Amino acid sequence: MWPFSSSKTENTTAIYTREDRTKCWEARDQYFTCLDSIGVLKPGDELKSAGEGACSKENKAYEQNCAKSWIEYFNQRRVIAEAQKDRLAQANTQAANATR
Amino acid sequence: MLSLHPLLRPIARPFSTGKFLVRSQRCLNGAQPMKRHVGTSPGSSQPSRPSSEPPRPQRNVIGAFTPTSAALFIVVGVGLFWYFRNEKAKLLEQREQERTSKSYGRPHVGGPFSLVNCTAPPSSSEQRFTHEDLLGKWSLVYFGFTNCPDICPAELDKVTAVVNELRQSNPNLPLLPVFISVDPARDTPSTIRTYLSDFHPSFVGLVGDHQQTKSVCKAYRVYFSTPPDADPKGDYLVDHSIFVYLMDPEGRFVEAFGQAADKDEMVEKISQFVVEWSR
Repeated sequence: MWPFSSSKTENTTAIYTREDRTKCWEARDQYFTCLDSIGVLKPGDELKSAGEGACSKENKAYEQNCAKSWIEYFNQRRVIAEAQKDRLAQANTQAANATR
Repeated sequence: MLSLHPLLRPIARPFSTGKFLVRSQRCLNGAQPMKRHVGTSPGSSQPSRPSSEPPRPQRNVIGAFTPTSAALFIVVGVGLFWYFRNEKAKLLEQREQERTSKSYGRPHVGGPFSLVNCTAPPSSSEQRFTHEDLLGKWSLVYFGFTNCPDICPAELDKVTAVVNELRQSNPNLPLLPVFISVDPARDTPSTIRTYLSDFHPSFVGLVGDHQQTKSVCKAYRVYFSTPPDADPKGDYLVDHSIFVYLMDPEGRFVEAFGQAADKDEMVEKISQFVVEWSR
């Protein structure tokens, strides 16, 4: 049923339907929420900081519902988005200081 | 008549005084203003001139500069100044108007292409879709691929909502949403057809071979990049531009909508363009 769950190489003709996409996004959001709750930014780092088993249930569902390329993309974007948020906040404080 | 008098006068009394003679001769060379020398010269016994006449400047000394010419000069100068200022203001206003009605340069986006129509009914002969099929209707062109994680589906949902809303407010508006694949290695016509069934039913899905894809992307100024080691049967993502292009019924580019443009903004702008275009 999940196009990318069983094998990463056999899914050439599989296409994500709207339903599949929604499932993947939900699994991703749950995993990321779990990471947020233990204060981990970079996916994968939770094993180092919080030990084995941290967010493992969410991670498993995430990997089951999303293609590997999607997981890589979402994980990268999470880190980038956080960095951008920091930079934006920095820029805002700088702008606020400058106008003062 | 009056000017004749003074001319004659000195000649009539040539030998009265030496000083007088010299002056008279000088006056002869000039024209009108000589009167003054004659009439007001000391020792002149001439009763001829009315003393009420104001002294005039000597013409040959100050040239053509008379109160009249000065006045004329000022009037013409001020007139020209106002005229040009007025013209300039008019020109600026016109330019501003043109700018707001977007008649400024149109980017060269779009152009000839010939691709496979994935969404045509299998029985029809219209399996090819070219730039000419865009003529006569407004089109919203989006480039993407079916394995796109989140941006493409979101954009296609947005286009679907825009088409629905425009159809509702303007049922006769010919409007065609178009999806062009930037991943010809994996996106087969049947894949694209299945993919688009999640979006607006009037979507046209197009795909070509690698060369055709490259050329249509170039025409639409779309960047796309497949990973160099991409296995055509594998799992990879294609990096690509994510604009929705609005083309008018003559197939000319009108506007590019980015991710930041939401549905309402698109609907409003497109309605505006439609009104302007039909004018």
